[in-house]
Parts: sequence; structure tokens; C-alpha cells
Amino acid sequence: MEITLSDNALKTFARCITCLARIGNELAIQASSSQLLFHTINSSRSAYQCIAFKSGLFDAYNVSSNSLQCSVLLKAVCAVLRTPITNIDHLTVRLPDPDAPKVQWILDCYNGMRKTYWITCNVEPDIHHLSLDRQKFPSNFVVRPRDLSRLLANFQSSLQEITIIATEPSSLLTDASNEIGGKEVELRSYMDPTKDNDTLLHTQLWIDPKEEFLQYVHTGDPIDVTFSVKELKAFLSFCEGCEVDLHLHFEKAGEPILMAPKFGLEDGSHSNFDATLVLATMLISQLHEGAASEPPVGATGTHPHTEERNASHMLQENCRANVSFEPPSDHTRIWSDLSASAFKSISPLEERQAQGETILNDDGQREIQRISTMQISGVASVPGNNPIDSNVPTEKDHGQEPQDAMQDNGQAISQHHRSNWVDAEEDDEDEQDEDEQDIQPTPPYYEEH
Amino acid sequence: MEEEEAPDVICELENVQGLVDALTAVRWKRQQDAVLELSEHGIVLIVEESGCLQAKVYLKRELFIRYDYNARGGRPRFGVSLGHFVDCLNAFSVPAGQSISSLVQIQYPGPDMQLLLKSVDSLDASICAEIRTRIPDTIAWDYNFEPAGANPLTFTVKSAALKEAIEDLEWPGSSIKITLEPDPPSVSLRAEGHGDLQIDFMYYVNSELLVAFQCDHQASFKYKYKFLRATTSNMPSSVIKENRGSKLSIGRGGMLKVQHLVSIAKPSVSHPYADSVGYQQPSRIAHIEFFVKPEESED
Repeated sequence: MEITLSDNALKTFARCITCLARIGNELAIQASSSQLLFHTINSSRSAYQCIAFKSGLFDAYNVSSNSLQCSVLLKAVCAVLRTPITNIDHLTVRLPDPDAPKVQWILDCYNGMRKTYWITCNVEPDIHHLSLDRQKFPSNFVVRPRDLSRLLANFQSSLQEITIIATEPSSLLTDASNEIGGKEVELRSYMDPTKDNDTLLHTQLWIDPKEEFLQYVHTGDPIDVTFSVKELKAFLSFCEGCEVDLHLHFEKAGEPILMAPKFGLEDGSHSNFDATLVLATMLISQLHEGAASEPPVGATGTHPHTEERNASHMLQENCRANVSFEPPSDHTRIWSDLSASAFKSISPLEERQAQGETILNDDGQREIQRISTMQISGVASVPGNNPIDSNVPTEKDHGQEPQDAMQDNGQAISQHHRSNWVDAEEDDEDEQDEDEQDIQPTPPYYEEH
Repeated sequence: MEEEEAPDVICELENVQGLVDALTAVRWKRQQDAVLELSEHGIVLIVEESGCLQAKVYLKRELFIRYDYNARGGRPRFGVSLGHFVDCLNAFSVPAGQSISSLVQIQYPGPDMQLLLKSVDSLDASICAEIRTRIPDTIAWDYNFEPAGANPLTFTVKSAALKEAIEDLEWPGSSIKITLEPDPPSVSLRAEGHGDLQIDFMYYVNSELLVAFQCDHQASFKYKYKFLRATTSNMPSSVIKENRGSKLSIGRGGMLKVQHLVSIAKPSVSHPYADSVGYQQPSRIAHIEFFVKPEESED
């Protein structure tokens, strides 16, 4: 295999390498007669990026074998591209034969220097294939990278995960839309319940897709997806550098999301390359925070817990009202809609919810890793992936005891309740007094259990 | 009353930044001891490391507006911290944008054998600095560079390109082999580690890259990366901007000499009769030399 590229193609190529290097460590290279594939997966296997270069992108494209593949470390490729692109006349990548131990990267510079890098191929390449049909995602939106960057700037720069909540732009909400402004999409910072979030800034942002998005498609019940911010920003920079819009496809919590550049009107037909980024999402839906408290309270049926539930519900409304800085009546309507939709969704998602909750019951120190493992389950469920991967997490789930799940629910309630108490304290003195009364019944409940 | 004995050297310099640039070029680590040697011809600053790397900065007397040499007997030599010396000189630098130039006087020895720096001709205030000196340790080696053979092995390459090449060669993580080939005329720098990298300077590809090249037989020697990096790591930006060339010569036994030129004086705007734009008198340039011993061959 020998390929050569220069000028704008080289700039695009370098931009792709930069983005891939922000996703994973290992670059898998696959060459066929018509295209060159670069793909990588991150260490926790929750992010997968694939970039396809058509042969037309290259000044010279010679692949002798029908299929050629190898893998190298991305940091080595980044070392090649440390040379400023403006100094490079052309780049040649050469793999002498399919079993060659090293890939040659040759830079011919304008100043007369020639730099030849020999990058060692990985002995056991970790090559993954993941193919998702973007047309089958029920929901999606298209946004300018600059606009999305501006929206993300409202969040703390160290934020790890973010939640996107999508609701249906319905004619039934015509009056509400006129009054509220049609803020059907919410961006929310995700708070990991296993971590100490006291020092973190919690941000919620309601946006009007008509104003912020170029395209917005969602029908049916509200859905949410929670995923990593790091990879999102990497892809965002990539799209901005390529001067294309970002197309994000999603389905629901626990299912992977897919991002791709949007090339003008005809998607990808006029471009010599295409890129997709697939991110796993958190299995636990953020829309069911209120619903999570329902089963244990219903099981006990005691009067003190009923009060606790009511108070919790009230505090949630107050909390959201404070954060959004909108008139209570407007926010209440939004919350009511989400809440109503969430309750309607309890039955069909009960099994998945239970599956998600059992994760919290595992060893706390390894919880993040286990969540990542479950994320693989989400990714692996897609046809074409190794079926063995999807079996392992399932077996672990079946091994969990129902009693542990109940205990875990208690912990979730406690954390959530305490958080609301702190927020409510900022509201007014009366609320604070009421909170103090509500906290007292908590210890006896745990003792009994 | 008996008159005070005159110092060995009193000299005055107009452009301190140029001197700072020249001295910074041989500063490859934070704590570095230097030896200053004074003579009727000027000042030489010498730094050394591990017996494998030596650098010299030649400051000819013509660089100074005033240079009074009064030493009796042998040439005075004293040790001084290079870092302290550079930091003190920086205190005398004129802020960028100011048209007024400050005159700095350097005197050795002071009453207590110090190196004295003082600003003169200043209308507002005067800055004085005293730098403690030491009796210098004997230089382990004061190498007299000898040609490899009857004909020299030498090439001149753009300083910016040399710096870039050496920086890139950090990636493999090993020693660097320099090879000169007479046919076709080229210079190769190669390192082999967890990855391999070879950088070629082709004489005929671009005449502005390899400015001069003399080689009648193939020569190849290895050098430790950290020593080669020291020859370019702190090259002043003025050298890059002026697009100067650096001359590399391979001497007997593979001793490598790297020579840079650093401008000390300001551009000769005040000389209306200059023959060409940017012309500078040779006497206004500091010469910097690095000597790098080759790595012993494992064969």
C-alpha cells in the first residue's frame, strides 16, 4: 500500500488524526481498493470513531491487496504531524507488504527536508467494527459547531458527562409554546451519585431547537441520553475545523448515540471522506429520578413515607424553579409534562431500570468501570458486533439479588433527598423548617430495613 | 594616598539584549557554572557538561563601545553562575518599544573580586549589580578541534531547520547518527528507538536549506540526543528571524562542532551609507561554538 496526499487533503487528514487521537490510543488502518478506513476505540470502550477516506482524496492511492490492515499507536502518528502542515509539500504513507512490521510515513517539506518515520505496527491489533444505520435512529438534530460550543460554554469545563433531554414539539403545546418560547430540549450536567458533587456546578439549560438547531426531529415521549463530554468536544472541534455542521442521532437512555458531519444538502455525496462517532450512554435514565422513589414507598405503604414522597416532589419543583429563573407557573408546566410522560413510561422500562440500578449495588470502587462495561453492552447489542461481549454483562446482571436492589434504592433516595434539602435552604426559612421535620423519619426507616 | 589599582577589564555595551541572547544560547539547564576568560581580544565564556559537551561564546572587543584591558601577566579567569549572570543582564534590558538605549558597564574585579554591572548615562536612575565569582575548576578538557583529514567535513544548514530536525528526533528516544554522503550530496540524521526517524537534508533539493556542503568521503558518527539538543534548544529567536545558517563540522574522532552566529548590535539604521538593507558589520556578531563528543561505538 502506498498513498500520497497534499494541500487541503492533507489538512483534512491531519484534522482527522487529531480527532481520533482525542478518542483513543490505537489507530486501526484498513485499506481496500476504493477507500481507506481509520478507526479507534477508547480504553473504556464507550467511544468508537471511524473515518472513511475515499480514494479520490489522495494524489496517489495504490493498494495491491484486496484488504490490508494493521494498527499503530496514535501518539506516534501525532509525532509525524508535529511538523506544521503549512511546511509539508506532501505526505506519503507506505506499507511495503501486508506483514510488514513498520509503516513508513514520509514528509517532504517545502524547505527541502525529508522526514521518514517508521512506526511499529502493533503485534496484536485491536480492530473493531461497529456499523449503525443512522437512518434508524428515531431522534436527531443538526447544529452548527459554533452554536453548540457556545451552549456548552455555559457548563463547567471539567464536566464529565452531560444529559440531553428531548421532548416533542407538539401542536397540543401551542399555547404553552407561545408563552414559554418552545424550549423542548434540555441540556443538563450529569451528577455521578457515587461521587462527592459538593464542589461541582450543576447546570441546566433549556433551549429552543427552532433557534439553536438547524434541524430537530423527535416524536413521542420525552427521552434522555447521558454521555461523555470529552469525546463530544473532540468531535465538535473536528466539525468546526472541517466547516461542516454536526448531526447527532439518538434513541433513548442506554442506547448508543451517533454523531456525524453534515455535508450540505446531499449527505456525504460531495465529500471525499466521512466520519462517525458512536458514544455509549448511561443506562440509567435521568427522567426517572422521581419515579425511582415510587416502588419502595408503595411497598411499605406507611404514612411517614408518603409525606416524604410529597415533600420530595415539592422540593423538586422548587429546585428546578430556582435553577431556571423562570416564572414558577411556566416551569411547573414544563415539569408536569416531563413528569407525566415519565410516569407513563414506567412499565415498559421497568426491566431496564432494574438492570441499571443493580449496577449501583456493585463494589463502589469499580462502579465507573462497571458502568463502562454496561456501556459495552449497549454498543454490543448492535448487529455485527461480537456476540460474546453482549453475554458477559447479562450474566452478571442475573446474579444480583433483589434485596440488594432495594437497599440501593434507599441510598439513591437519601442522596437525592439531601441534595434537595440543601437547595431548599436557599429558598426561604419556612421551607428549611419543613425540611428539618422531613429528615427525622429517615434513620428509623433504615434501622427497620 | 596610593591610587587604587585599575580593574582588569572595564567595558561598556549598548545593546544588552543581544548579549543576553548570546549567553542564553548556551544555557541548557537551570543551574550551570561558567568560566569567563578575559583577554586583550575580548571575553570568552565557557560552559561544560559531563566532559562530553562544551560551549563557548566569543565576545570580541569590537562588540563593546568601550573596552579597557589592564590585566598584568596571564589572562584573568573566574567562575560565575551563568544563570545569575543572564538574570542580572536581563535587569538592564531596555523594555521593548523604548527608543532610548541604556549603556551597561561591566567591570572585573570589584573590591571583593566580584563582577560588577552598572548602568551609566541614565537620566533617571542607576542600576548596579554585583555577582559573586569563584575560582574556576580546571576545565576537564579544552579541546583543540582538529580536522578529520586533509579535507574538511562540514555543512551549513539553516538554523531553524536544524532546530526543527533535532526537536523531531526526540520522538524515537535514542542517540542520533549523523551521516554525510558525498554522492548524492546529503546529510542524514537518524534515530532508532521504539520508532525510527530519519531526516535528510538534500543539497540539490533546495539551495537555501543546505547552504554549504563539503564532504569527500562518507562519514557517520553517533551522538547522545541530549547533547545535540543542547546545541539548538535555546537558540535565540533573533537567529530564526534573521534566517541565519549554522555550520556543523566533524573533526578527528567524530568530534562535532556546531557554530551559530548571534547578532549583538541593533540593525544598522543609523548608518545611512550601508551598502544593503540589513547589512551588519561582522564585528557586531557573537560567535557561539558547541563541541560534542561522539558516542563510543558498540562495535
